[in-house]
Amino acid sequence: MITSSQESAEKWEVQLRKGCLELAILAVLWGGTLYGLEILRRLESDSDLIVSEGTVYPLLSRLKALGLVKSEWVESDAGHPRKYYALTSAGKQRAVAMAAIWARFSSSMGKLLAPLGKEK
Amino acid sequence: MTSEAQQQVEEYLDRLRERLRGLHADDIREIVEELRSHILEKAASSGQVTPAGVAAALAGLGSPERLAGEYVTDSLLAQAEVSRTPWRIFDALFRWASLSVAGFLVLLGSIAGYFFGAVFALCAVLKPIHPHTAGLWLIPDPAGDLQVSLRLGFEGAPIAGRELLGWWIVPIGLVTSCLMVIVTTSFCSWCVRQYRRSHLLPRR
Repeated sequence: MITSSQESAEKWEVQLRKGCLELAILAVLWGGTLYGLEILRRLESDSDLIVSEGTVYPLLSRLKALGLVKSEWVESDAGHPRKYYALTSAGKQRAVAMAAIWARFSSSMGKLLAPLGKEK
Repeated sequence: MTSEAQQQVEEYLDRLRERLRGLHADDIREIVEELRSHILEKAASSGQVTPAGVAAALAGLGSPERLAGEYVTDSLLAQAEVSRTPWRIFDALFRWASLSVAGFLVLLGSIAGYFFGAVFALCAVLKPIHPHTAGLWLIPDPAGDLQVSLRLGFEGAPIAGRELLGWWIVPIGLVTSCLMVIVTTSFCSWCVRQYRRSHLLPRR
């Protein structure tokens, strides 16, 4: 019974993480232009998201198709060009709007969940 | 980079390129070059690009088939999401159906919806040609139960059957047909939107 409830909680956690990735990518790009591997590394180091590389690249491609990010190829010392991404003005607006929703939601959930922490 | 590592990268990218067919040539080139750059950079993290480093980088990306599926399906579904044309939606649904049970069920539902829409339209159109046999009929079966049957009128009138709508089948059939096409298209677009919303997000 405990195992099954733990499994359900883990599934829920996976869904929760999934829901955050788009905002997380926009947030990572808020600080400036980055290429794919840098975005992945920033996501891994600065967030608790477990990110699949095979998901981030198609998602970047989709964000570009939606006009939320733009990209540019830049020659590098590594011997191969890198594709750098940056937020467009629409992407910045989307990031701000999503961040506001997140803050509101997180704050109200925090209040709601406060008694659960005290129970422990 | 060793020739073995180079070969691993090219084999992976060839398989990916093969599966990306259907996308615009410029988009395919862009995707392949970005992933080549990713693989080489990741494989070189420990210094030199070795076969083991390349293998680890490729494992991180997952199989080229699944990766290509993420790009192609999303692109097709993106077209379907903004399109109101049934064949565009069918194209996307066939792709989706090949990837998941949910997609298969939505495809079946859409086929049924469009099929019944077409039958109602045909029945309305054929009524003036087969005025005594085409229409919505109530027919008793051998067990004594009554069955409702939409008939196109190519066969004779059913024995002991009773036609329910008469000439009203023409306007009712046409309106029902239009409604079925609109409802089916809207349903499919809605499913596609739901699927894309979940699909663009990562898997663990």
